[in-house]
Amino acid sequence: MGRLIKAEFRKTLSLKVWWILIIPLVVVSFLLAFVWGKLTNDFADFMGDGTASIIAAQVGLSPDQLPVGLMAIAHGVNIAELVPAIFGVFALAGEYSSKTITTTFLTAPNRVSALSAKMITYLVWGALYGVVSFGVAALATLMTVSSQRLPTAGEWFAALGATVLAYMLVTLFGVGFGAVLNKVVLAVILLIGYFLLVENVLVLLLWDKTDVLGAILPNGTADGIVSGVAAQAMGVTSLNVPTTVANFDKLGLQLAAGAPGVVSWWLSALVFLAWTLVFFVGGWLGNQRRDIT
Amino acid sequence: MQHDGSGRIWVQGLSKRFGPVAAVQNLSFAVEPGSVTGFLGPNGAGKTTTLRMLLGLVTPSAGTALINGRPYHQLGNPAQVVGAVLENEGFHPRRTARNHLRVYAAAIGAPDHRADEVLGLVGLSAAANRRAGGFSLGMRQRLALATALIGNPQVLVLDEPANGLDPEGIVWLRNFLRSYAREGRTVLVSSHLLSEVEQTIDQVVVISGGTTRYYGSLEQLRSSRQSRVLVQAADSTALVTALQEAGFTQVEPTQDGRISVVGVTRQQVGDVAAKAGIALYGVEEDRADLEKLFFQLTTPQYAAPPPGYGAPQPGAWGGTPPQGYPPQQPGYPQQQPYQQQPYQQQPQQQAPQGGWGGQG
Repeated sequence: MGRLIKAEFRKTLSLKVWWILIIPLVVVSFLLAFVWGKLTNDFADFMGDGTASIIAAQVGLSPDQLPVGLMAIAHGVNIAELVPAIFGVFALAGEYSSKTITTTFLTAPNRVSALSAKMITYLVWGALYGVVSFGVAALATLMTVSSQRLPTAGEWFAALGATVLAYMLVTLFGVGFGAVLNKVVLAVILLIGYFLLVENVLVLLLWDKTDVLGAILPNGTADGIVSGVAAQAMGVTSLNVPTTVANFDKLGLQLAAGAPGVVSWWLSALVFLAWTLVFFVGGWLGNQRRDIT
Repeated sequence: MQHDGSGRIWVQGLSKRFGPVAAVQNLSFAVEPGSVTGFLGPNGAGKTTTLRMLLGLVTPSAGTALINGRPYHQLGNPAQVVGAVLENEGFHPRRTARNHLRVYAAAIGAPDHRADEVLGLVGLSAAANRRAGGFSLGMRQRLALATALIGNPQVLVLDEPANGLDPEGIVWLRNFLRSYAREGRTVLVSSHLLSEVEQTIDQVVVISGGTTRYYGSLEQLRSSRQSRVLVQAADSTALVTALQEAGFTQVEPTQDGRISVVGVTRQQVGDVAAKAGIALYGVEEDRADLEKLFFQLTTPQYAAPPPGYGAPQPGAWGGTPPQGYPPQQPGYPQQQPYQQQPYQQQPQQQAPQGGWGGQG
């Protein structure tokens, strides 16, 4: 197994994809965390008056205690999650498109070990991307958010852990999604289209009917891991948001945390793990049996 | 999980259906070490599917395909036992030749310098740092061969390796495969052109329509087809009578007015004609044409005798003999002198030379 993992790392490191993808990862993580941190921090400064103070009062927060830092980090790392997902697509679908899958299977004792080596390798890549994304988002947060609104030490670690976990799962999701479709370009387009557009529109359009979609669909649950940490610090998850808060104010508060409909970080992680397993197991079984002709 | 190290390929009753299409039907043959075996059949005969079943890439519908007594995925570290050059095998276009080889050297557990060794073996050292996407077809074939050789395998399986090679490359490949087999290793090479591999191979497995049509030595195939003598005589009728009286019964007229006699030498025809006082204007021997035999073996419609070409000889060259050739004992050693060499009998536990093997 060690040999095959070494081979998988050489595969990824001998191409440019891994560092080319770091560019959008860094840019998106930094920009979103920076813009969010800046705007929210300035906004929080005004929270002494108007509707903002009413909302803040409703959830029992004084403007100075708003976890703006956590919110900024969550916004930074959440959209950049697409990068490791796309990287994951190349793991198997990419090998089919370049037809190296034949040699990969020929040089492994069996397909289980070939696929396991891939899984482990891509989990490590996911974790690395997570650390990079978190680091950049944290930097942008430190640059923009007032010190009293920055996360506590425990919250920093919680956000880092949640980011790494989310990125590992999202990478595996990409591996499985690519393996099921077995087409690199189609998988990438569908991933971007669904995660950026389709699900967000769906959640917002159906918000007045149900707020549960964000807690069960892939994008909402993937985002909900890190955003769940922020929402819990803010007290605005669907479980602990006060009943006095109007439905669309709740949407606004949860959007501010980065995950409308979020229940808790660990429930999001569990549900997204289930989504990951659906695609990963599907892709795995397909590869276990497929005739390579 | 220990394979027997024999270097023997053993295929028994192998079948594969792709939906309604029977790609391979009840195929049986064996390939012995120390020889180059040709795996011949027209396009679509099932060669590629058979080789891919042997290599564990395609799951058979029925039957077994074993190397060293084991299915591919029970060989442990299979690429140290079997090297494969397959059609449709890919390289990432942006990965350099050396990096491609280093990836699979790592997978097999070979040291990194093995990548440069095999590049040298196939004559690609100068292109080591070039991306495979810029390679010509011939260079890609060489890189595929280099990949197959990383594990210094005892068995080499090649699917249409001559495709894309220039004449020089084909000669090089021929010599390479022959010397590989001379080291006591096993080489199985497929082709749809007999002429392409005729000078390379000793043994031949001919398949068509997914079934075995011939399995044995090339020499035996060649000699099994009797040659014929074409005679132009002043009095054809009298010559036919004289030949039949002399015991040569396989006599037929040809379209150009000559007589075709099977199972006779030119001298015998001349003697018979002289004795009968018949003038001969021309006597010509028509040797068995291997390519023509190949056509007859692989194309059902050629099973009927072509017009004016001798008498039909069902079974003379074993039209459908798979059952008659038990794969375990092809029984050719007595027909082929070089098979007597002592290394034939030794199981090849270790790769003969240049080995770095041993590590797990």
